[in-house]
Amino acid sequence: MRYQILIAGYGGQGVVFLVKVLSICAANRNLNFLGTENHGMSQRGGSVSSHIKIGNFHNPLIDYAQADLLIALDKNEALINLPYLKKEGSIIVNADDFLKIDANVFSIDANKLAEDGVFDAKGLNVFMLGIVLEKVKYFPFTIEEIKKAIEDINPKFAKQNFDILEKAIKIAKEKK
Amino acid sequence: MTLMGNEAIAYGLIDANINVVSGYPGTPSSEILTSYKNIAKSKNIDVYAQWATNEKVGFEVAYAASISGVDSAVTMKQVGLNVASDALMSASFIGNKGAFVVIVADDPGFNSSQTEQDTREFARFARVPVLDPATPKEAYEFTKKAKDISKFFETPVILRSVMRVSHSREIVDIKNSEFKKEEGSFQRDIPRWAAVPKEGRLKQAYEQIDRIDKIKEFNLKNLIEPKLKKLKRTKNLIISSGAAYGYVKETLEDLGLDIDILKIDMPYPLPDMSKIIAPYEKVLIIEETYPVIEEEIRSEKVLGKMNGIVHKIDEMDKEKVLKAMKKAGFYEGKNIYKPVFAAPEVEKRKPNLCPGCPHRDIFFAIKKVFRPKKSIYPSDIGCYTLGINQNAIDTVLCMGASVSMAHGFSITNPEKTVVATIGDSTFYHSGVAPLINAVYQKAKFILVVLDNSTVAMTGRQDTPERTNPEVDLKKVISGCGAEVMEYFYEPDINTTIEFFKKVKEKYNKINKPLVVLSRQFCVLDKEKAKENLSGKFAMVDEEKCVACDICTTQFVCPPMAYNEKGKIEIDPLLCVGCGVCISGICPTDAFIRREK
Repeated sequence: MRYQILIAGYGGQGVVFLVKVLSICAANRNLNFLGTENHGMSQRGGSVSSHIKIGNFHNPLIDYAQADLLIALDKNEALINLPYLKKEGSIIVNADDFLKIDANVFSIDANKLAEDGVFDAKGLNVFMLGIVLEKVKYFPFTIEEIKKAIEDINPKFAKQNFDILEKAIKIAKEKK
Repeated sequence: MTLMGNEAIAYGLIDANINVVSGYPGTPSSEILTSYKNIAKSKNIDVYAQWATNEKVGFEVAYAASISGVDSAVTMKQVGLNVASDALMSASFIGNKGAFVVIVADDPGFNSSQTEQDTREFARFARVPVLDPATPKEAYEFTKKAKDISKFFETPVILRSVMRVSHSREIVDIKNSEFKKEEGSFQRDIPRWAAVPKEGRLKQAYEQIDRIDKIKEFNLKNLIEPKLKKLKRTKNLIISSGAAYGYVKETLEDLGLDIDILKIDMPYPLPDMSKIIAPYEKVLIIEETYPVIEEEIRSEKVLGKMNGIVHKIDEMDKEKVLKAMKKAGFYEGKNIYKPVFAAPEVEKRKPNLCPGCPHRDIFFAIKKVFRPKKSIYPSDIGCYTLGINQNAIDTVLCMGASVSMAHGFSITNPEKTVVATIGDSTFYHSGVAPLINAVYQKAKFILVVLDNSTVAMTGRQDTPERTNPEVDLKKVISGCGAEVMEYFYEPDINTTIEFFKKVKEKYNKINKPLVVLSRQFCVLDKEKAKENLSGKFAMVDEEKCVACDICTTQFVCPPMAYNEKGKIEIDPLLCVGCGVCISGICPTDAFIRREK
């Protein structure tokens, strides 16, 4: 299997945490992967994009027209990273609406939900991962695998994150 | 284990029984020393793992350990090697007893650095071997290899990583070898350790040439020849090294091309490659970032950067590889990396100081009291370089340059007030020597030391004063002979402005460097941020906002942006509740407290 995921957002949104979760999922299932992160200058509120390539790859960067899935924690960051998406790829984006393009797009205004107190804004990254679990057809991991990975990283906050994950799945089920 | 490249290097250091690691933080290298320290702690191993005040100091601490027979290493980013280069150039003649591994992480693409320099080039310049891993797995293996080569040949060995290795993640099998605590035993050998010009060094220079020849032979027999057996003798050959190899290998797989690739693990010193390339028609060399292997091989068959086939600058990607192969005549098909979906014109988010960061207030106050038309603002390397967003920075050169450049500007622009800014860690790193220089020459300028007691940009490593308060920053500054004014930061812009007015008064009265020591905190510093953030979250009274741009151009806090109505709006998810904008940034008092 080969599956390439690009996670986009800006510094402070927890992009790197998602890469960790997905890489642990891959490792737990003994799948090869290469992932990449941003640190330093690029982390100070600037655009951040992290790539993870699951399968037999030799370099961690996704190239244009190659990503199976784009998870965007911000609308602008989704737009900036569109060239990386392959034809008929999937986009899960935190936005009230999105461009009508020839891809599987699902947008949800997670900022509004966080403001309304549906979930804690710090859990935006995990919330979007929940949406991915429900809406992306060939996403390689199950909710159990994701939960296990989150617990592996930090058992102390696992319960909180599980709640957000389940809430996201429920909301995604109800929304078309 | 799934590891980041830098963690893999740290495990390599432990498994290689390296006892002493020093270094100075710098993206993308910073996590190596911290991880090494943490792994040692978790295994109950007693090691030396400490941040040095700068890379040269770190190099020399670890180097002395290695000539005492203890296996040692030093970590830094590529520009750090410039600082440590004086020591490296000399150590390469003298050599070492215990292993001495110099770990340097490069940053192709200028992601977090002021240069894109290639440390392999530096290795060639210093005549020390360099290993160039392509992935975290290799980084782990090559760390151990670097130790063995260094110990056997008694030479410093550079382990060159790049951002895409250091900050990549992969499954790495860790061997968990038994760790042996080493005690040094320095053997006096004055002709070697204290070789002086001319005879002493000349002798070592001849030995160095001889040593490099032996390492070339080692490279050929141990690292290159085993790979030659796997080559199929296709018409053409590609030679690559390090992270660049990954791009090449994948591009060939994506395009379904069958072309021999020779991956070079040790780009310097290279043996004579003429026999190896003889059977091939053309040889394309793809490396990042400088043409090191290309220059070493020098053949008419070689295609690369020097004849314009391969790109010369910026980070590699597979599209660049594909284009190079097209130019070289290795591929004739279409560009499979052409985007399906074009990106609409949207502005990329620029890095900015964190919401609530006290640096922002200091820059705002400096500009208010020392007006831009009458001032020059040299600055330095760190988070506060982002004061550029407030137009509060005129120059950025390299670590410590703010102080010496402030001096230079003050000599040549006497009608201007020079107000320089530098972080506490950068000041320790290389701000002290230029301050002494300025004091003894009676220079007149203002230097603001932004002391948040952490190396914030690189992940909040502790500074000397924080680790041991016996290092007293205020005494260091006054000990240099400069005038010091200490400011204890208040999250109230008027208090900060009033303070800088007093600074101006003082500046007008004295004829020597005036140093403002601004005692602040970092909002990402969990120990200190909580007690320092007031909890006054902000919102905008839209009726009062006249869209004057003061907040978006002079203060530039990330939560502030114009909404569809043309009024400023505060993103409640980003505001950390410092309360500074409410305290008086807005001329029409549009920032008000948001009750939650």
